[in-house]
Amino acid sequence: MGNSFQNSNPWKKYLLIGLSMTWFVLLILVPVSGLVGKLAGLPITEILLSLRSKAAANAFLLTGKVTLITVVVNTVMGIIIAKVLVKQHFRGKLLIEGLIDLPFAISPVVAGFMIVILFGPYGWMGTWLETFGIKVVYSLPGIVIATIFVTLPFVAKEVIPVYKQFGVQSEEAAEVLGASKWQTFWWITLPSIKWGVIYGVTLVLARSLGEFGAVLVVSGNVINQTQTATLFIHQEFTDFNYTGAYAASLLVAAIAFTVLIVIQAITDRHKEN
Amino acid sequence: MSIILKKLNKRFGDNLVVNNVSLEILDGELFVMLGASGSGKSTILRMIAGLLEPDSGSIMISGQDVTHLEAQKRNVGFVFQNYSLFGHLTVFENVEFGLQVRKIPIRERRIRGKELLEVIGLTGLGDRYPHQLSGGQQQRVAVARALAYNPKVLLMDEPFGALDVKIRATLRQNLREIQRRLNVTTILVTHDQEEAFELADRIGVIERGMLVETGPPDHLYHHPETETVAMFIGGGNVLVGREDNGQIRLGEILLPWPEKAFRHAEGSPVRVLFRPETVMASREPFHDPQFHILGQGRVVKRIFNGPVQRLILNMDQLRGVRPLVPALHHGQTRTQIEIIQTTQGLDHPIQIDDVLWVGIRDYHVLKPSGIKILVYSDDPIQNPSAQTFALHLGRSVKGLVSLISTVDSEEGIAQKQGQLDRIRLQWQDQIPQISVQVMNGSIQEAIQTKIQSDLFDFLALDRDCMGLNSRTGMEKLFQTMLEEIALPVIVVSAPQSAINHILICTAAGEPGKSDIQVGGRLSLRTGAKVTLLSAMKPSQEGSELERVTQYLEEAGRSIATLGVDCRPLVRTGNPLDEIILEARKPQYDVIVIGAVLPRAPQKFRWPEVAIRIIQELGKTVVIVPMQEHR
Repeated sequence: MGNSFQNSNPWKKYLLIGLSMTWFVLLILVPVSGLVGKLAGLPITEILLSLRSKAAANAFLLTGKVTLITVVVNTVMGIIIAKVLVKQHFRGKLLIEGLIDLPFAISPVVAGFMIVILFGPYGWMGTWLETFGIKVVYSLPGIVIATIFVTLPFVAKEVIPVYKQFGVQSEEAAEVLGASKWQTFWWITLPSIKWGVIYGVTLVLARSLGEFGAVLVVSGNVINQTQTATLFIHQEFTDFNYTGAYAASLLVAAIAFTVLIVIQAITDRHKEN
Repeated sequence: MSIILKKLNKRFGDNLVVNNVSLEILDGELFVMLGASGSGKSTILRMIAGLLEPDSGSIMISGQDVTHLEAQKRNVGFVFQNYSLFGHLTVFENVEFGLQVRKIPIRERRIRGKELLEVIGLTGLGDRYPHQLSGGQQQRVAVARALAYNPKVLLMDEPFGALDVKIRATLRQNLREIQRRLNVTTILVTHDQEEAFELADRIGVIERGMLVETGPPDHLYHHPETETVAMFIGGGNVLVGREDNGQIRLGEILLPWPEKAFRHAEGSPVRVLFRPETVMASREPFHDPQFHILGQGRVVKRIFNGPVQRLILNMDQLRGVRPLVPALHHGQTRTQIEIIQTTQGLDHPIQIDDVLWVGIRDYHVLKPSGIKILVYSDDPIQNPSAQTFALHLGRSVKGLVSLISTVDSEEGIAQKQGQLDRIRLQWQDQIPQISVQVMNGSIQEAIQTKIQSDLFDFLALDRDCMGLNSRTGMEKLFQTMLEEIALPVIVVSAPQSAINHILICTAAGEPGKSDIQVGGRLSLRTGAKVTLLSAMKPSQEGSELERVTQYLEEAGRSIATLGVDCRPLVRTGNPLDEIILEARKPQYDVIVIGAVLPRAPQKFRWPEVAIRIIQELGKTVVIVPMQEHR
């Protein structure tokens, strides 16, 4: 089934890779190549030192945390949303199907701004949460919410078509054959929607690592506290600290690139089967 | 009993997809549900499997009520139309899946899996993946997977649908053998009658969510009760004759009643079925006491089919006999029949335009159908009188109602269709056999088309459409319609829902008694009282009065034997005025009038009576075309 999925959707794969590549090329590789000479002219110790600064380490740690939480939450929620939208019929389903695309359509800066309005010190969610001592905006929860928001549709959108094509019928077959709900999910549903999930997760991962606009608005960009990797790069760049900016950029690029390469390798091996 | 279904109902949105289905399936039986796509047969199967829950009714499997039991606990085998094999598992893993979830130890699973692969003839292919197998092999894997855990019943949804014709034939035989060997109770759903004939112990024909008839294949083929089954199973000829003094009249031909035929009321329509291969045809006249000669027919079509050839003949002596099958083409005036002959040893092959003598031996009479009403509604929203009357009548007689309307332009279709669909949804619980249709073109054409497609008992119209409230309008109807359609026409003047008392008007010199029969039939089905009126001139008193009274009493008695409350009544005076005076009485809600065909001497001025009743009294009139005396 995975095979036929690939055969029927080669465009998706190329589109995905093309999208990521363009992103890297436009945001990282082009400036990097322009200044890579300068970076190459510097001693390697200086480059490593700039990455070993406290600010850089904290920024990458924060991005790592945010990405991990976002991937886990959006994978679970994406599968649940896909299952609900394919199998259940209810009032307002059309509305939800339309709204799920909203994060695609809204500029991340606007999305971030909406979160500030809602969860900020004067927002009604913000004031309510304040009574429990929870601070959302300008702290980790706000960054996570913003990142989850902008990556919300990826897994659901990837899983829905695959689930429609293979999952529903296979689930019915398993059910009649006597499998319980959990057995059906782990043994049948998940394997049949596997490729949709993997593509979706890749997208979420890439987007979480690189998210800038929404996070910029929500985080407050406090060094060592709410500064993510991309914000750190931006900061170094505006401070004319090119060594740090491009060293960090290279690292972000390398991480995302590795993810893509690994996915590519898995896909290829699956193709051979 | 392995499977018992009781009064199953299922609705998707507003549509009633499964309508009151009850069925009992015996142990080890292979039962085939046969029906067109969308007839609801797969829905029934999915409810038995537990993939859908019925809205009402119950399902028993091996004595256990499973109506609300989850699918995984029902222990049934299911073969899906597209097999739904697990693509990420091997053939072997697919087959043993049902055992794995039942926590059967791996050693037993291996043994059982090997055994099953042997049964389906796929030994050695256990390690392949489904996509590496052919369609036929995949289907067999699906069967093995469904049988692995010895299910109580096996359910199959169009299991041969996705395969090509040659493989189908082999796999059918295969399946039959496996089913016999394991003696597993099986329900198979298909739209393919050949498949049903070949496999079934019993067939159930499904139409519009209803189980129309069940029986062994040969019984359904030779002795169907309903038109649906006669037409759905096998090719056939169904002609509409009439009961005529203990015989069946087909045009100029009289046939004796077959033994064990369903009882028919005097003068009522009789649907005669004979299969094309049982017709004897020869260039020379023949006299065989076993055959009833239908006269000569001219070959208009010949279809060579290898071992047999199909011939379509125009039958002159059956002129005027309406065929339900083969259906009349538009503009076709002659009755046609279809015959099948073997082509073996024909020295002079039959050609187009050959004239053949035709005789039938085995013919079968279908069960009299419930009342079927065709209703034309000009404007279903603004002017619902006719449809309201017809729908209430249809409900009280448990009959069929076909509601049609016409549009002038394409733009109006969707809106009209929407209006009619709402009426259908509103009534389909009370009248399961309701259908609606928006048609293009003139009212006459639309009605004509519908009447040729089915055997209707009544046509209901509103008096405001077609100008029926004027003398010219009525006469136009009289000329163009009654003559051609030969159907009682109900002209509805005002919204009315109940029929409590019917006045049947007869007059001296009236040639027939169709109006009495139609009125009697209506009252029999609705439980309405009947008053049988004869209006005559005072000069006719004496012996004539005696004769009329006697005639009325006889007619009244024959209606009364049906259990109808019938009272004869004679009025003297000007017949027209007397009828109006009587019809004016408030207790009558339906007035039945006989309409004399223009060829016959016109002694009874029915259009005037009808117009006055409709215009002055605002009552519903049934105009019955009278048959000519022979």
